[in-house]
Amino acid sequence: MKRKVNHPAPSQSELNGPKYWRSLDELAATPGFQEHLEREFPQGASTLEGVDRRQFFKLMAASFALGGIGLAAGCRRPEAYILPYGKSVEGIIPGLPLYFATAMPIRKVAVPLLAETHQGRPTKLEGNPTYTPFGGSTSLHAQAAVLDLYDPDRATSHTLKGAPATHGAIQDKLASIGSAYAGNGGAGLAFLSEEFSSPTLAALVGRLRAKFPQAIWAEYEPLHDELDSRTAQEVYGASIKPVYHFRNAKRIVAIDADFLKADAANLYHARDFANGRRVTSREDDMNRLYVAESRLTLTGSMADHRLRLATSHMFAFAAALAARIGGADTFGAAAEGIDANTQKWIDALAADLAEHRGQSLVIAGAHLPAAAHAAVHAINVALGNVGQTIDYVTVPQSNASTIVELASAIKAGSVKTLVVLGGNPVYNAPADLEWEKLQASVPDVVRYGYYVDGTTKKAHAHIAAAHFLESWGDARTVDGTIVPIQPMILPLFNGLTVLEVLARINGESTTDPYTLVYQTITGLTSGPADKAFRRFLHDGVLENSAYPKATVAIGASAYARLAGSVPKAETLSKDKLEVVFAADHKMDDGRFANNGWLQELPDPITKISWDNAILVSPRLARELGKAPTGAILQVARVEENEFEIGKEIAPIVEVTLNGHTVRGPLHIQPGLSNYTIVLPLGYGRQDTGRVGTNQGHNFYSLRTSQNPYYVTGAKLTYTSEVYKLANVQEHWSMEGRDIIREANLEGEGSYRENPAYVKGIGMESHSPAMLGLQGARLEGESDEDYARRIHAGTPRGNSLYENPNYKGIHQWGMNIDLNTCVGCNACVIACQAENNIPIVGKEQVLRGREMHWIRLDRYYSDGKADAAAFGGDGNREIPEDPQVSLQPMACVHCELAPCETVCPVNATVHDDEGINAMAYNRCIGTRYCANNCPYKVRRFNFFDFNKRQLDSLYMGPIGPGGTPELIKMQKNPNVTVRMRGVMEKCTYCIQRVQAAKIQQKVKARDSGDVKIPDGTIHTACQQVCPVNAIVFGDITDPNSAVSKAKARSQDYAVLGYLNTRPRTTYLGKLRNPNPKMPDYVGLPYSRTEYERKNHPGGHNAHTGEGAHGGEGAHDKPSTSEGESTSGSGKRSEEHGHTVLETLKKIGGLS
Amino acid sequence: MSKIFPKSANKLPLQIIIFIFVFVGVVTAATAYYSTPKYTRVGYAPIQPVPYSHKLHVGQLGLDCRYCHSNVEKSGVANLPTAQTCMNCHSHIKTDSPLLAPVRASYASGDPIPWKRIHQTPDYVYFNHSVHVNRGVSCYECHGQINEMEVVQHAKPLSMSFCLDCHRNPAPHLRPLDQVTNLNWRPEQMTGESHAEWAKNFVTKNKITPPQTCTGCHR
Repeated sequence: MKRKVNHPAPSQSELNGPKYWRSLDELAATPGFQEHLEREFPQGASTLEGVDRRQFFKLMAASFALGGIGLAAGCRRPEAYILPYGKSVEGIIPGLPLYFATAMPIRKVAVPLLAETHQGRPTKLEGNPTYTPFGGSTSLHAQAAVLDLYDPDRATSHTLKGAPATHGAIQDKLASIGSAYAGNGGAGLAFLSEEFSSPTLAALVGRLRAKFPQAIWAEYEPLHDELDSRTAQEVYGASIKPVYHFRNAKRIVAIDADFLKADAANLYHARDFANGRRVTSREDDMNRLYVAESRLTLTGSMADHRLRLATSHMFAFAAALAARIGGADTFGAAAEGIDANTQKWIDALAADLAEHRGQSLVIAGAHLPAAAHAAVHAINVALGNVGQTIDYVTVPQSNASTIVELASAIKAGSVKTLVVLGGNPVYNAPADLEWEKLQASVPDVVRYGYYVDGTTKKAHAHIAAAHFLESWGDARTVDGTIVPIQPMILPLFNGLTVLEVLARINGESTTDPYTLVYQTITGLTSGPADKAFRRFLHDGVLENSAYPKATVAIGASAYARLAGSVPKAETLSKDKLEVVFAADHKMDDGRFANNGWLQELPDPITKISWDNAILVSPRLARELGKAPTGAILQVARVEENEFEIGKEIAPIVEVTLNGHTVRGPLHIQPGLSNYTIVLPLGYGRQDTGRVGTNQGHNFYSLRTSQNPYYVTGAKLTYTSEVYKLANVQEHWSMEGRDIIREANLEGEGSYRENPAYVKGIGMESHSPAMLGLQGARLEGESDEDYARRIHAGTPRGNSLYENPNYKGIHQWGMNIDLNTCVGCNACVIACQAENNIPIVGKEQVLRGREMHWIRLDRYYSDGKADAAAFGGDGNREIPEDPQVSLQPMACVHCELAPCETVCPVNATVHDDEGINAMAYNRCIGTRYCANNCPYKVRRFNFFDFNKRQLDSLYMGPIGPGGTPELIKMQKNPNVTVRMRGVMEKCTYCIQRVQAAKIQQKVKARDSGDVKIPDGTIHTACQQVCPVNAIVFGDITDPNSAVSKAKARSQDYAVLGYLNTRPRTTYLGKLRNPNPKMPDYVGLPYSRTEYERKNHPGGHNAHTGEGAHGGEGAHDKPSTSEGESTSGSGKRSEEHGHTVLETLKKIGGLS
Repeated sequence: MSKIFPKSANKLPLQIIIFIFVFVGVVTAATAYYSTPKYTRVGYAPIQPVPYSHKLHVGQLGLDCRYCHSNVEKSGVANLPTAQTCMNCHSHIKTDSPLLAPVRASYASGDPIPWKRIHQTPDYVYFNHSVHVNRGVSCYECHGQINEMEVVQHAKPLSMSFCLDCHRNPAPHLRPLDQVTNLNWRPEQMTGESHAEWAKNFVTKNKITPPQTCTGCHR
């Protein structure tokens, strides 16, 4: 019988006294929460769904039977073989990886890479550090590209009329196209290609067009991350593009430009932007970012001042700014329609820019009309930025036709043979072209593609494409530098490169891509050809091959013509909405739809995984009468957008535009322009592999060739249906807690006043010293020495538990700079690729079983949460103008780890170098450790995710077997592939740490030089990070990068008051608002919330060590009066009052 | 008082006793089995596709280990020789031996010879040869007297406790770096100082601190 414990009834004082809450639901006391209370684990987390009791026993019986067989056969280890090469292979040492320079081409730019190969098998891609603008970092798409190589659903054979065709047959087919049109100059022949940057391909296309002058060569990309060539021609009068140098910019204005993500040069931009933002001492300067945007992008989340404005009003905004700065009349008229508040914003912004001539930068999004780019150019010229923060370069002229011109030729019946090179026009061509029908009307369609998709289904022949890791080729980076594309492995399915396809159609004598590339590169270099080419392949970049600089001069008449070309922006309302089509953060335009890593990655802002959603502003939802009411500190708790442990119950809505309708789930997104609907593209593929098919919703069908990026006049209607979205972060508010600690750069209570501001925030500032006697500051010890001693010296006393033995010669630690992290999520994918982390599928994410070892937490704050929130109504409204704070969170490797004390089998223990280790083969899966982890970073293998198919996980061993061999090839051989029933989590890339230690010991031989020099080990997340926000190293070495970072005054431990002593610490976030701006707030919103929650009675705001003391200062008052301490208690008392007044001023306190 | 226990319950004590005996017996047998060399495969000597004799090549002809296992000092894996390595000599000597037919076939076709694996650590153990041989641990410590084996056999248990015994007290198992591949070397052959003294110095001077925590081998 179950033992029942009757709790005594609460006393009167307990009922009337202060209330403490454990979760928001408790506060809400919803029935769902009551049920939740009864269960130890969230609903669904530990139940077998879809399997009844009877079925369960059947399954168990079957698995026992199998177990029996396994036991009998398992007494002997199976015979295994060692298979050495027949002939020695140069350079290959079994067991050691080899690295080759290559590049990932996407649209007109490429990301230079180093590919790690194990015996000829590429497993991981890193950035090529030789290309300095990217500094060895990569984008998340480049990280995920290696999985595409091993995608079992890729096109595995060439086909002719639906039947598999041999290599020879395809070669004949290509040659026959060339010979058939050789006589008439190509009349009737048409090509539709993706955009490309390859010089070899450009030369080949040039020869092709010379041979077939009548043929149509069209290029189409559904999305552009830089200004497309036709618009550029219109603006600059030549084939020119701008290159931005954010490192020189002190003031940055982004007009609907997501330069941290959507831009082709995002890695370069993010690096330089972060360098201008990193603050190491109070004297350091910090750039200031102004963003005007309609949707909430990562760039917007980094903004110091953010203006929500519809995309259709962006030109008016740019014109108003141009009019204010240039004083020119050209744009004055176009600036009409800007309301008074926005005008005030623009005035203050213009004044700030005017003070930073030559040190500011204004950029506009690639989707904005030519006139907006002209206005931005005028501003940059007026501010003297050209040549300082912005350069113009000449790019090769493209005179390709557009897809619209090709479509009209097809309609006219003049196209007899169509060759579709890459892309997927049936899925993503403008809807008004009705491409599917058009393509079906062409008598002969040859499709070259990586997947068998919708475009293939309407084609007569399919040529399987080679992955870039199987191809010879070349490409250009964002500044034009030529980089090689080298094959790491022979084409797995006999795929062809686009070079070979075109060379065969062209009937060239050389069709070998290697030779073609060799010819191009050696034609550009001097000296011995072989040597130059080998050097090109070795370095991975061709020196001095960047685009030449150009000058831009736009005449007054051109300005006037462009300014007049944009129709006046309409006033929007709930019946006249603006629709913005945006690239999905992960799927891009849909090309990565079958990549499981990217599908499972949550969107950095909405945190929705495996899906896209129709995003609307809270105000629009309210005006439509469907806004969640009484929502307590949640996006939506009751009725419409209910959250239920990771499941966002979203209503299905319909968006109608010009008679066309799309359906999709609705997600209310704070920070959106009031009447803008954002439709993320790239989802809803009906025709890709097993992973991507039918995930999300397709919004391409609303998109026309006239208005590909934004359009007004849409209506939104609710349906009665609902849809489950897998939202991995239902909770958007920090509730005034101290998870992310923020301050302004200047002003009252700011970083400049008190560099150690983080020490005054949070529970540690109240609690007794955690570090015992060792924590006390020594006489005359400087801040830096003190921090080093505290971080490096272990054990540190004062714990109930015995301190682990930290006697190793290294002590590993990590530091993450929240001030520079831009939230790109590349670290999540890099970690997944490095550590063999499985994907679990949407069904499992809905149950909260995602496996990512590192996640990015995203919090909104609007300064409105107050003490009443914790016993009363609290924050009823979803913020319209939130400040966004992002925080990467992985296992922090606590020195006193709560997980270790509860493990019954010692499967998780510390090693002597401070790493909290997981011994997988010891783990019996009790999950106590995950329960006891305050950071919630432990992940449990509920199923054999690495062994079973995602759609039959519940069938266990009787389900259809296994992972395709192909996917196994991606696995990192140095990391255990975990099985069902074991816990896992971040290991600080222990395999890299151990490899470095071994390497050092091998080098040391009979010497004692076994200490690893700083900078040898890069964890996967650190290596990929474009902004160097993550540093890892030995904290006992006072000169290591991590020690220096930890010694900075902004360093703090998340949940430090729990005395877990995490080895990963964070640097506080800084904002740099302009006091003259109308939306200036004296404290970051999250800080306001913190003060309101914790000191509602007007207790002074903490300004740091002076007031409350840092760690250990309770034992002994601070003796240091160094630069970075805040000074005397009296002074901080004053700060307290002034901060309080600031709060009152901004309405933070009533 | 009504009958609580049926009559058959009288047999219960006997049944319990028998059960205990059987249970203890099974546990004892299992423990005995799992701790025997049989379980750890000591003595395992499968028939290889080519009857290569270490006794002949190493013991008599004096080949160094690293001639064939050429990357043992660089890589975690002590590679097996490629057929090409064998053919360096065997294109001149015993060129027609039928026993060497698989080697010639492999060299001609490039297909590997399927050698049977003898020493195998589980998948979750990451043993690294290079760090051991470069820091004074001889092949002999784990593989035994290979140079006298006609057919290679599993000489030591290679169990976790086997590894840990040495990791906890490495000194007795160390030798000068130039003797690492000399399988006939014995500590008694140390000249000048005693091996114990030498090893103590070697450990201190070179900071020999073999990992004893999980992460050393399990990743």
